[in-house]
Amino acid sequence: MRSMASSSALDGNPPLPFHFSDDERGSTSATTEIVHTIPHSTTSSWIPRKRNLDEDDASISWRKRKKHFFILSHSGKPIYSRYGDEFKLAGFSATLQAIISFVENGGDSVKLVRAGKHQVVFLVKGPIYLVCISCTEEPYDSLMGQLELIYGQMLVILTKSINRYFEKNPKFDMTPLLGGTDIVFSSLIHSFSWNPGTFIHAYTCLPLAYATRQVAGAVLQDVADSDVLFATLMCRHMVISLVGAQKTSLHPDDMLLLANFVMSSESFRTSESFSPVCLPRYNPSAFLYAYIHYFDADTYLILLTTSSDVFYHLKDCRIRVEMVLLKSNVLSEVQRSLLDGGMHVDDLPPAPLSGSSHLVHNRLPSDSPERFKEPDLGIAGPAGLWHFIYRSIYLDQYVSSEFSSSINTPQQQKRLYRAYQKLFVSMHDKGIGPHKTQFRRDENFVLLCWVTQDFELYAAFDPLADKASAINTCNRVCQWVKDVENEIFLLGGSPLSW
Amino acid sequence: MPSRRRTLLKVIILGDSGVGKTSLMNQYVNKKFSNQYKATIGADFLTKEVQFEDRLFTLQIWDTAGQERFQSLGVAFYRGADCCVLVYDVNSLKSFENLNNWREEFLIQASPSDPENFPFVVIGNKVDIDGGNSRVVSEKKARAWCASKGNIPYFETSAKEGINVEEAFQCIAKNALKSGEEEELYLPDTIDVGSSSQQRATGCEC
Repeated sequence: MRSMASSSALDGNPPLPFHFSDDERGSTSATTEIVHTIPHSTTSSWIPRKRNLDEDDASISWRKRKKHFFILSHSGKPIYSRYGDEFKLAGFSATLQAIISFVENGGDSVKLVRAGKHQVVFLVKGPIYLVCISCTEEPYDSLMGQLELIYGQMLVILTKSINRYFEKNPKFDMTPLLGGTDIVFSSLIHSFSWNPGTFIHAYTCLPLAYATRQVAGAVLQDVADSDVLFATLMCRHMVISLVGAQKTSLHPDDMLLLANFVMSSESFRTSESFSPVCLPRYNPSAFLYAYIHYFDADTYLILLTTSSDVFYHLKDCRIRVEMVLLKSNVLSEVQRSLLDGGMHVDDLPPAPLSGSSHLVHNRLPSDSPERFKEPDLGIAGPAGLWHFIYRSIYLDQYVSSEFSSSINTPQQQKRLYRAYQKLFVSMHDKGIGPHKTQFRRDENFVLLCWVTQDFELYAAFDPLADKASAINTCNRVCQWVKDVENEIFLLGGSPLSW
Repeated sequence: MPSRRRTLLKVIILGDSGVGKTSLMNQYVNKKFSNQYKATIGADFLTKEVQFEDRLFTLQIWDTAGQERFQSLGVAFYRGADCCVLVYDVNSLKSFENLNNWREEFLIQASPSDPENFPFVVIGNKVDIDGGNSRVVSEKKARAWCASKGNIPYFETSAKEGINVEEAFQCIAKNALKSGEEEELYLPDTIDVGSSSQQRATGCEC
């Protein structure tokens, strides 16, 4: 068992979250199969564990893995591997370093190697090397974006000051510093296949009545004084409300990495915590301090501060927030919203024509305005809308619908996310883009993407869907999103849009 | 797991081509020997787990190519090594004389923080050949050179017969480990306190 305690030897950087013990964070050896989940059904008890520790590069099972991620040092010492035991993979790690360094020696840098169905993607961040080996057919840009996030997650835990240790001592072994954090990385990697935030670089909100979100926002604003840089109330990976003091902005990627760090570290759930964290997009070289408290299994408060000695003040802030949330029933509204789920495509107004096998629910938002009617679009009929993601560019937020019953297996959903990723990359391809619309049909689905100055819409339809009616449906989706925007988005004064 | 914490040690094996670097490594890791010579291209990597006292550590062994055309790989390969093993063939004077070049090359390329005390181990290989009759470098001569370079531990081995190989690597592991531990203690003092002091956490003692 690797211990987190050794990190205290490092110049206060990073100091330990004070309540961690080895027992809480170090149990990485358990082997548990990952259960694929979708966002709204992700249970708080689900924890991805480091898997297959008995595997190494000689194991057939290891070689058959579709997607590997590695972090290593510039001397070839392994730091993290998604599968297998880092130490047993030391030889493999050395090989990767040799390849990178060999190309570097020639004054060049290796970015991508294709070998049959496999892509090997390299990302060099000073003394830290990150490598992805994948046969998932994801585009290079997606895999590179994932490596960037993994590096960002490492910075969240250690900051960029880690570079200094390597400058002084190239043989520096940083695995003890990351001890017990395997789960943070495996949870992030898992989110690459279910969390759209990982590729569209925006955050998402829990759907709530406007007034409810206002109450949460007001109390956060109330505690966001000189000591609190950011105050955010979260439900799983979704924002309930977010307030930033001063004119500072919080990047959606930082939110994603912070939420992943908090959610995947089991110990945060059991007690209030004060932990050093780094927000790489805000300042990669410095630690902030995060006061973290769970109000229930899903809902938690993060107060970010620059002072290391304001724990008790933040605790008082939390008590104030908690009182307001309880009094105004915000927490029970949050639970209700979780049960209701997000936007259900079957609820898309107006009601489809007969012949549709879709059930018509009017579940979201539970206290939503009357369903939108637009008679002249009725001919669209059952266009077979399966799912959509709408990203508001101005707000830096996205909303992702629930999946229709036609796409209910984790495999199908993962395939769709991969398709979205591909679509996202092709829409944003600097070489041939940017594009405004794209219509794509394959044996799995019809995909339609529409990018304007204000929003991006990604929609998936039945593979037999008609193009004209799909376009029509997209118009209806946009209208629908607009109609309920004050419930699905955090509007006004968002610190992310300053 | 048998130990609380594991350590990885990077070990570089250097020496002229054909002195038996790969054979030594194969004998140590796989307990195998082949008479056929296959030149190493660039470098080979093997790992071996070693138990030392109550700790488990992993040797990451970098078996490099001896040919000169691979020398340009130096910096990349030597960076962050915990121990360097210099190998020569007791039946080849040239390979012995070149130890000096290998050692200096390594120190230049790897630029360890404390070159005077960087852990090297010297191995004279192929002592089995011709019953030792074709030997041209005496043990005394080799030991004298090792002594002059800061008392480098010296072993005479036969990768073919498996003589002394285990012992040599035990010593390599021990020295690499020792250097690693010194480095660990030394580390916090090397950090620029000025820029980081304000980030220092006092934490909360509750």
